[in-house]
Amino acid sequence: MADFDGAGVFARVGRPDMMKTIALLTGRLARVALWVAGIGLVLMTVLIAAQVFWRYVLNDSIIWTEPASVMIMGWFIFLGAAVGIREGYHLSFDVLLYVVPQRIKLVLHSISDLAVASFGVGMIWYGWQLAEKTAGNKLPGLGISGAFDFAPIVAGGVLIVLFSTERIARRAAGLPTARFGEEAEID
Amino acid sequence: MELYVLFGTFTFLLLIGTPVTFCLGVSSFATIAYLGLPPVVVFQRLNSGVSVFALMAIPFFIYAGDLMVRGDIARRLVALAGGFVGHLRGGLGQVNVLSSVMFGGVSGSAAADASAVGGLMVPQMKERGYDTDYAVNITVVSSIIALLLPPSHNMIIYSIAAGGRISIADLFTAGIIPGFLLAGLLMLAAWWMAVRKGYPTQPFQGVRMLGTLFVSAAPGLILVTIIFGGVRSGVFTASESSNIAVVYALLVTFFVYRSLSWSDFIEATFAAVRTTAMVLMVIGCAAAFGWLLAYTRVPASMVALLQGVSDNPIIILLLLNLVLLILGTFMDMSPLIVITTPIFLPVATAFGVDPVHFGVILILNLGIGLCTPPVGAVLFVGCAVGRIPVWDAVRTIWPFYGAALVTLMLVTYIPALSLWLPSLFR
Repeated sequence: MADFDGAGVFARVGRPDMMKTIALLTGRLARVALWVAGIGLVLMTVLIAAQVFWRYVLNDSIIWTEPASVMIMGWFIFLGAAVGIREGYHLSFDVLLYVVPQRIKLVLHSISDLAVASFGVGMIWYGWQLAEKTAGNKLPGLGISGAFDFAPIVAGGVLIVLFSTERIARRAAGLPTARFGEEAEID
Repeated sequence: MELYVLFGTFTFLLLIGTPVTFCLGVSSFATIAYLGLPPVVVFQRLNSGVSVFALMAIPFFIYAGDLMVRGDIARRLVALAGGFVGHLRGGLGQVNVLSSVMFGGVSGSAAADASAVGGLMVPQMKERGYDTDYAVNITVVSSIIALLLPPSHNMIIYSIAAGGRISIADLFTAGIIPGFLLAGLLMLAAWWMAVRKGYPTQPFQGVRMLGTLFVSAAPGLILVTIIFGGVRSGVFTASESSNIAVVYALLVTFFVYRSLSWSDFIEATFAAVRTTAMVLMVIGCAAAFGWLLAYTRVPASMVALLQGVSDNPIIILLLLNLVLLILGTFMDMSPLIVITTPIFLPVATAFGVDPVHFGVILILNLGIGLCTPPVGAVLFVGCAVGRIPVWDAVRTIWPFYGAALVTLMLVTYIPALSLWLPSLFR
């Protein structure tokens, strides 16, 4: 069943049994990322609720809740988006894919995953550059280094690269990958 | 040439099935590299594009909607709608539409509306002898109402895509009359179909029962008032009022209805994380894409191009409607809003269309697109709920599409339908 894909390297490395072990690990990582994102959403809710309560009930304003919750939002967007790669819940447009043969479809999927991975590399590389450049600044309202603004994009980038590489490797090993609108067992 | 790189990469990736958000990101990345500009711009735009306080209304409204679906608020609103219009001809069809009005008024999401109202109504309708395709069709098309009535998070996406200068309160208010107009026309279509098919009526449940149902659903209805009243009066920003919606939904479902279990809460949180991370990532990547559109002067060329086609606003609007409807059949709503707004809004304003009015036209067009094959998220949800193939549903959906298209034409060519109500608040 293996190596009907163009990715020859992975075809040799990516044996199904080994991929199962990897899937166990990445599955746990995705779970952790999802929990962090979920806790982030709840935390954001609490912070803004506190801000509203203080402003309208106690007539006093908290200055750090708004920048803090915007930063949390960055974490949950980039982590959630990365988990979306693994679970396949990003919106995509699959009309053309219905008409091409299975073989070509798998090659196209791998090209697509490669493009996503390259964007992830960009998020890490340039996110890091931005963090370095702003490390000396202090964020208004929070008093921490400006580099923290770019931590989520770097962390999200790492997970995106990891999860898209896993998809390419799984495909090379003849295992299913999740896609938008389809059910696939990936754990 | 750089436009070929931008749109070429985008289209290629889209066709091979890359997630829309990465089609936007990677094509921007490639174009920046081609232009010899520093690629760091793309990621700076991405990061600043999602670090906007106004965006927070989107996760909160989606979260609140997820909590309400799992926490029994939706079911009580449907029961109340049953008390109001269940005795009309094709009663359950009418209930379905009115439920979308009420639930749309608290959730603002068409997919949530289709799964919540459809999940409750379609089985009931089947049981009482309605055809499944009729039940699915009315569920699907009436979900568009949720997009027009406040708090529609798609209106917020539009406001942000337009550069944040358009008032969210005005957009919320502008959608109300078009939303009710669509509801009225859909009820008419449902009635007409019911008469033709000889669907049953059921007896009026009585004013006392209506009172009971009203009290039971009141917490949900109060939420509509808080959200709309708060944003409209300017007391709260959209982000703050959406936060109040989450807290309120939690309080009602945990303590008043006692309908939300701990695992429901966790499920709702994860569901909201998945949806919003996806939507907001699209918005972030579209910020980079939009920057390139502006850099390469695409909006200005589009205006010039269309001015060459015609100088008649009626024709231009028809053309814009057509393009949006076609795009809408292929792609999902939130990415399309962020991609098309920077290109088409300048065109619309160049021809004298008010940005608020254009927002309603855009949302309605793309909303219809959600209900059409080949790609229609809401249509898919409806068919999944009714367990029928998409083809079976669309064969008999035409009267409802008709009602939606008539609404679209009326909304497009009678600006007052959108602009009169907001003008009262100025």
